[in-house]
Amino acid sequence: MDAHIRKVYVPMTETGFYILLCLRSETHGYGIVQQVETLTGGEIHLSPGTLYGSLSKMEKDGLIRLVREEEKRKVYTITPLGTEVLELEMKRIERLYHTMQEVRKR
Amino acid sequence: MKERKTEVRFFTIMQWEEEQAYLQRRHRQGWALDRVSAQCVYHFTRCEPEEVVYQLDYNQEGLRQKEDYVQMFTDCGWEYIQDCMGYCYFRKPKADMREDEEGIFCDDASRLDLILRIFRGRMVPLLFIFALMILPQLYIHRHVETVWDAILVGMFGLLLILYLWVFTSFAHKLWQYRTSIRP
Repeated sequence: MDAHIRKVYVPMTETGFYILLCLRSETHGYGIVQQVETLTGGEIHLSPGTLYGSLSKMEKDGLIRLVREEEKRKVYTITPLGTEVLELEMKRIERLYHTMQEVRKR
Repeated sequence: MKERKTEVRFFTIMQWEEEQAYLQRRHRQGWALDRVSAQCVYHFTRCEPEEVVYQLDYNQEGLRQKEDYVQMFTDCGWEYIQDCMGYCYFRKPKADMREDEEGIFCDDASRLDLILRIFRGRMVPLLFIFALMILPQLYIHRHVETVWDAILVGMFGLLLILYLWVFTSFAHKLWQYRTSIRP
């Protein structure tokens, strides 16, 4: 993983994180919006402008790739590099969570 | 025959928020936007007064792959109206929104990205004109000897002020966004 990817994606935006999380199985942009709503119990709504921008940036940086087009909708999936970044981010969030729990117990 | 009207309004490159507010106000008064022509002529049709949020995006990459781009907005309930000079116009009735203030962007990082896209797409060409035309012209005609010199200097002087104002407002907007973003 090169310095650019590390700088831009670790840590990443919440939108970026949800995109990678959902793209572990292939889906299109609106599929991500729906999944995130379900996953967060309707707490988080991704907006199309933000989502479109993030998807094209991540595709350019090789974190996700285009699989096919389905009725005018681009279907994406995560790449090995994307998985690597997602793992790093998950570890970071886990660490954050554990630290928070530790401090809370005191 | 539906009642129609046309208005002329000028918004600078950085005033898309003011433009959005203007279109929302018109819709509230019962005028729905049909289309924008020549960047400053707004065509409206009579409609039921309604709270409708208008949003502008500037995304040249999206316009190159328009079908997929527009589809994503449509899926999220945003009606695509048109594109004009690289700006895309979308609207959504407040009644269809879950939150009170829904927009086409949901985080600061993407709002900053929008400003940077506008900078690359619209400001960089202006900077070129500024550096390669206005500044050299002012330099060439710096010794005012004839009336022609005076006219040219006056004209380019005005352009200089106009451009400096556009650049300053851009820098100000960028600064506002940078400081509003949480650390």
